[in-house]
Formats: sequence, structure tokens, C-alpha cells
Amino acid sequence: MNYQRPELIDRLASEYALGTLRGPALRRFRRLMQQSPQIRQAVQQWETRLAALAVSVPPVAPPAKTLLAIEAQLGWATKPRASLWSWLRPAMVFSVGLVIGVGAVMLQPQRFVSLDALAQREQALPQSYVGLLTDREGRPTVLASSTRQGTRMTIKLLRPLDVPTGKVLQLWALPQDEAGKPLAAFPLGVVPATAKGGFEMAASAESLLSNVTRLGVTLQEAPAAAGDAPPASAEAFVLTGHCVKLW
Amino acid sequence: MHSSKPANPDSALLAEQLARVALGDRAAFRRVYELSSAHLFGVALRILNRRDLAEEVLQESFVSVWHKAGDYQASMAAPMTWLISVVRNRALDLVRSAAQRHETALPQDEDGRELDIEDGKGDLLDMLGEATEALSVRGCMDALDAPHRQSLALAYYHGLSHSEVAEQMAAPLGSVKAWVRRGLDRLKRCLEAQA
Repeated sequence: MNYQRPELIDRLASEYALGTLRGPALRRFRRLMQQSPQIRQAVQQWETRLAALAVSVPPVAPPAKTLLAIEAQLGWATKPRASLWSWLRPAMVFSVGLVIGVGAVMLQPQRFVSLDALAQREQALPQSYVGLLTDREGRPTVLASSTRQGTRMTIKLLRPLDVPTGKVLQLWALPQDEAGKPLAAFPLGVVPATAKGGFEMAASAESLLSNVTRLGVTLQEAPAAAGDAPPASAEAFVLTGHCVKLW
Repeated sequence: MHSSKPANPDSALLAEQLARVALGDRAAFRRVYELSSAHLFGVALRILNRRDLAEEVLQESFVSVWHKAGDYQASMAAPMTWLISVVRNRALDLVRSAAQRHETALPQDEDGRELDIEDGKGDLLDMLGEATEALSVRGCMDALDAPHRQSLALAYYHGLSHSEVAEQMAAPLGSVKAWVRRGLDRLKRCLEAQA
């Protein structure tokens, strides 16, 4: 079949959204859907048309235990606690347990030992570089992480960020030499203003970050390129934080 | 396509809460659940015909909503449309996997209770009629023969395959496929004309 034909795409998308596409045809269509934005768009249009038919389905209240079961599955089953935990727990549950050590060191050093013990028990944290950036009021705002040999920097926003139109959030690495003397900052990439995202770095985390102890974010007109001059003063950073090795 | 979004619950409020869920806001997540779960449970129950399975699907769907709220794009679809798609796709996956295990249909629940939903043919057509009424395309859709509307409604509301629809309607498979197709085409044309 020629999957380029718009009418065929539309027909298959309608049957997929309706649920009547089954068997090998369904598997083939799912593969194509992953590759083609055009097909995804057609599916989305059909899902919208058909979802409108659900408006008349009588609502039925689910049992109260369903929400509790969902929260238990998300790892929220225990009592609410200090604000640090409110964002730390879900991250842990979703396998980005990476924040444990950083959050503890940054905000509650006295808890470090017990959290570390927890991390040890999980046995699931890959060797990684992790940065937790706080805003000028000290509120955790951006979590940046990359596996030690990886080139992808994963960014999670912990608070909404207000980025004015035409501006970007530039992430900088702030290295230092063995004696602890600051070296010139260099740009790593642009922080996406979405809840989760990331960017590809020019090289592996290990080669870029091994002597980087802090990260900073500036608000600027355009992304910085390699070799661009670093911010003139610490005042230029809207967010800063430690960068640590998680191993 | 926004003209055809489901009317309830408040779309703007739901979209705002979903955006907060994407940032890890648990209170917003509970609000989304509160606003949408009864409707979504109703949708899952129609397809699965068993409360325990519908609960399972609702649970998995909301866990997925927590993880994937960042993927939801308000510019592309109304929030309820997105949530219904998440729930329907999971419910359909469950139905399909049951079919693959050569079960002709999902059995009654383990206590042997009666199935939860009873749909006479009239009930399903009423539901379709009510939805098309709400979309202001009832006249346009009612021009379609009743078996065409019936087969579309069985496939949509109950998640039946073509052959299951054929069996339910005691009609040849080829005819049912053509009816469903005409139903879908008609729905598209009616909604486009209405917009």
C-alpha cells in the first residue's frame, strides 16, 4: 500500500482512532505513526472528531479507592511533608532518583546521610552529573542532569519560568581549577521553557563537566555560541547552583 | 477542530490544570481527576463492560497522565479530547489483548455479577443522537441509514471490531465495514460543514 496517499492515511487514521484497526494492520500503522508527523496529525484530527461523540456517555463516578490507588502507584501514598519532598518524591519514583544527593547537599545537609542510604538501597542511580539551580530567592527551579558518558543534558523545570518573548535561557558551566580558582565560564545550551526537555551538548558530560562545580543561567537575546564571552559578573545569572558528580 | 471539543468539563480550567501537572503539581493533578474521572470512567466502562477492568484502565491512564502531561499540547486538542484518547486507547488495548488470547469477549467479572452496561440498540443510537445534537450535526448525521449509525456507535462506544459489530448486528462483515466507513465519512463531512 502507498502510505503517502492522503486519503489512505485519513482512512487508516479514522479506523485507528475508532479502534477498528486491528492485528498486523494496527502494528504497521503504529510504526508509521511514529515516523510521520502527517499521520500523527491525521490521527489527532480523528481523535478530536470522535472524542466529541463521547460527550453523551453518562458519567459514572469511579470508586473512591481508585484515586488512592493512582497515588499509591505514583508513590505518594505517605503523608505530605516538607516542600523539598513534594518535588523530590515523584522524581525519584520516575527513576530520576538523581536528585536525592543534590537536594540533600544543597538544602538539608543534615539529612544527607539518610537520603544517601536510601539511594544506596535503590541501587539504580547511574553515574551522572547533576545540577540543581535555584532562583535568587533560593527556590529550586531547574534540575539539569546528564549521564557521565552521555551528551544529552536533560532539563526538568521545578517551577514555571517566565521567559520574555525574544529571550532565551542560556545555561553556562562554571569550571574551576584544582586549587579551586574559577576558570572562564562556557555555554552548554539553551534551557527549554517547557516542563521537561533538554539539549545535546557539544561533547560528553564527562569531558565538559569534570571540573565544573557550578552552573548558571542567564537571560539573553540569543543562544551563546562556543567561545562566546561569559557573563561579566555573577549578577547576570538569574539562576545558579552546584554541579555534582553522582558516583 | 476546537469547535468539536467535548463540552464538559470546563476546557480552559482543565487545560490550565494539565499545564500545572506537567510541572509536577499534585494538587492540579487531583483537580484534573476530580473534573474528568467520572466522564472517563463512563467511557471506559462502556468499552470494557466490567467495573474492575474500567478501574484498572482509569488508574493506568491517570498514572500516564502524570508522566505525560508535558506531551499534551493545548494548541492541538482540547484537554478532554486528549484525556478521552488516553483512556480509550488503553481500554482498546485491553480489549485487543483479551481478543488475542482467543477470548471471544471479556468475561463477566469474577463474582459473576451481571455486566454493568446494558445497551439496547435504541440506547446506543440515542447516545449518538444526543452527541450529534450537542455538536449541532444531528440532522446531518440522521440522514445516514440507521444501520450505518448503529455500526459506528457500536464500534465507538463499545470498542467493537468490525467482525464483532457484524456479529452483534447479524450482518455480513463486508457490509459492516462499508457502513462504519460511511459513518466516519459522514461524521467528518457533517463536522466540517458545521464548522
